[in-house]
Amino acid sequence: MGILVDKNSKVIVQGMTGREGASHSRAMKEFGTQVVAGVTPGKGGTDFEGWPVYNSVAEAKEKHGANVSIIFVPPAGAADAVLEAAHAGMPLIVLITEGVPTVDMMRAVQEVNQLDAQNRAQGGQGIRLIGGNCPGLVTNGEAKVGIMPNKIYTNPGRIGLISRSGTLTYEAAKLLNDAGLGTSTTVGIGGDPVIGTTFADVLPLFEADPDTDAVIVIGEIGGADEEAAAAYIAENMKKPVVAFISGRSAPKGKRMGHAGAIIMGDVGTPESKLAAFAAANVPVADTMPEIIDLVKQALNK
Amino acid sequence: MKLHEYQGKEILRQFGVNVQDGKVARTPDEVRQIAREYGQPVVVKAQVHVGGRGKAGGVKFSPTEDKAFENGEKILGMDIKGLTVNKVLVTKAVDIDAGTEYYVGMIVDRNVQSFTLMASAEGGMEIEEVAAATPEKIIKHRVDPVTGLRPYEAREVAIRAGFKGNLNKIADMMVKMSEAALKRDAVLVEINPLFVGPDGVPLALDTKFEIDDNAMYRHQDLADWRELEAEHPLEIEASKYGFAYVKLDGNVGVLGNGAGIVMTSLDVVNRAGAKPANFLDIGGGAKAEVVYNAVKLVSKDSDVKAIFINIFGGITRADEVAKGVIQALKDGILTKPVRMRIAGTAEDEAKALLAEVNSPLIQMYPTMFEAADEAAKEANAAEAK
Repeated sequence: MGILVDKNSKVIVQGMTGREGASHSRAMKEFGTQVVAGVTPGKGGTDFEGWPVYNSVAEAKEKHGANVSIIFVPPAGAADAVLEAAHAGMPLIVLITEGVPTVDMMRAVQEVNQLDAQNRAQGGQGIRLIGGNCPGLVTNGEAKVGIMPNKIYTNPGRIGLISRSGTLTYEAAKLLNDAGLGTSTTVGIGGDPVIGTTFADVLPLFEADPDTDAVIVIGEIGGADEEAAAAYIAENMKKPVVAFISGRSAPKGKRMGHAGAIIMGDVGTPESKLAAFAAANVPVADTMPEIIDLVKQALNK
Repeated sequence: MKLHEYQGKEILRQFGVNVQDGKVARTPDEVRQIAREYGQPVVVKAQVHVGGRGKAGGVKFSPTEDKAFENGEKILGMDIKGLTVNKVLVTKAVDIDAGTEYYVGMIVDRNVQSFTLMASAEGGMEIEEVAAATPEKIIKHRVDPVTGLRPYEAREVAIRAGFKGNLNKIADMMVKMSEAALKRDAVLVEINPLFVGPDGVPLALDTKFEIDDNAMYRHQDLADWRELEAEHPLEIEASKYGFAYVKLDGNVGVLGNGAGIVMTSLDVVNRAGAKPANFLDIGGGAKAEVVYNAVKLVSKDSDVKAIFINIFGGITRADEVAKGVIQALKDGILTKPVRMRIAGTAEDEAKALLAEVNSPLIQMYPTMFEAADEAAKEANAAEAK
């Protein structure tokens, strides 16, 4: 079953008719995801490869009872697309787009959080944003709302995966798949400085998930999200957690591809992250394959 | 994009911040001319994108025109941390001792998912040093990204930081700095020192300003402020291809498909006992031509003695990667050993293509560790020769 998405999730694709939106809509469908409609303003009323296309999220949501939106809108309009989905009351919004201006994300995240609080206060289920600059999420064997290669998810299992990096998520999912452990849900939270959902937001969901036995956190240099995750784990997690930190040899002050992967002053150093995990008794793998050994050890305890 | 002091000051001036007057000079004669115009002691300041200019001798008080000329001669053309000084800012001198120096700044703070405003009575110093030695002397406040900083918040922060002077005017400067940060998509903006003279009025003596690269598309008026001569030539070429590229100081060229995998590749090269010469992310779904350009770019770097390619193919096809590398070999661009790990989509096709070419220069390995070990070995051996 896993967290956040499952075989009952009804997904709409904002930006379906664009190049990325189109190819990933097909791949999600092949995975078995219930992709129910597309949203492209101006193309409402048309058909795209068998999917109905709407002018607005509200319309698509109402017609199909959709509860997840995935966004492939280019950077300049991406934050606006998030706000449209949030105001339409979409409970889960997944922003794939890379390169969204940080100020736009600050405003969108703040507004999504306010709507989420209002929604919950009124007894609703809230609104969650995942990303931007993320690969999305997959509940193995059930649904993919993202851009991960389908074939690394042939082996559903009971390990939860959270990562700031797309490629390392694939690497870890493949290692778990090949080791016969498999994954429950994979959540790519994204490599930007301001994102909707952090490690510490996802951890409680895995802790509460009856289908997850252990969690892998794949972090990288920059920011203090790993430190916050370690603090959360030490206080609240009963399930074992294993970590990995990428970019340990990166120089200070250089942005390593991800907008958020930069050591500024003393913030974001690998040393600080390693120390935080050590203090939380979370084993940290030195290499990706070592993650598997550590997970096996943790499960056997 | 990092801005020079004079450019950051220009932006702050546009938002109504009271900024110390100054003019840019490119020759000692121009420095003299400006000093004459101001008719009083001036300060000549190197305009380069690195910190610690003052300590490096890039900022000089000049009591006379002749001294200003002399200092201009000294500073222009100077090398500060590997960057040549092509421009200086000449400003009127301020009697620092007659007033007080403060610090205010705003940075993107992922922990609060917005900007954090920082203020400190320890002005004139590097804020990192203050933060390290006496963090309690920096007052922090989250700025609402929708409303921006409100005057009452600014006053509150100024009071808590212990600022003395015309509080309304000081707060107003902070509010205007916040407007500049939000409207100009700053990643970082600092006014340091924020000088408060005997009349209590604040004046921005120096500033740092860095703009979010993702937002440059809506600041086209600032695009020609980008100085290519201040950047590494290979970084300029990489940006033409759309690669995320960072020049590093080792001997193994590192490229892969995605920021995370390339970052980890750097770590693996380090573990293998060599140092990465660069970080190069070719992005997702790269075709042969993209890989060809990446190999070409990395090969141009004389520091590179061997190349480590690490690909986890999802939408990226291993055979396209192989084709790109093979074409580079055929065109004579590739003269250094390439050690690669390409897992995933079309892996077998890639192996077949490489077997056909059968060149000792290109070898494929089943894991990233073996490939990195071999690349490190080759690079270190070439270096030892």
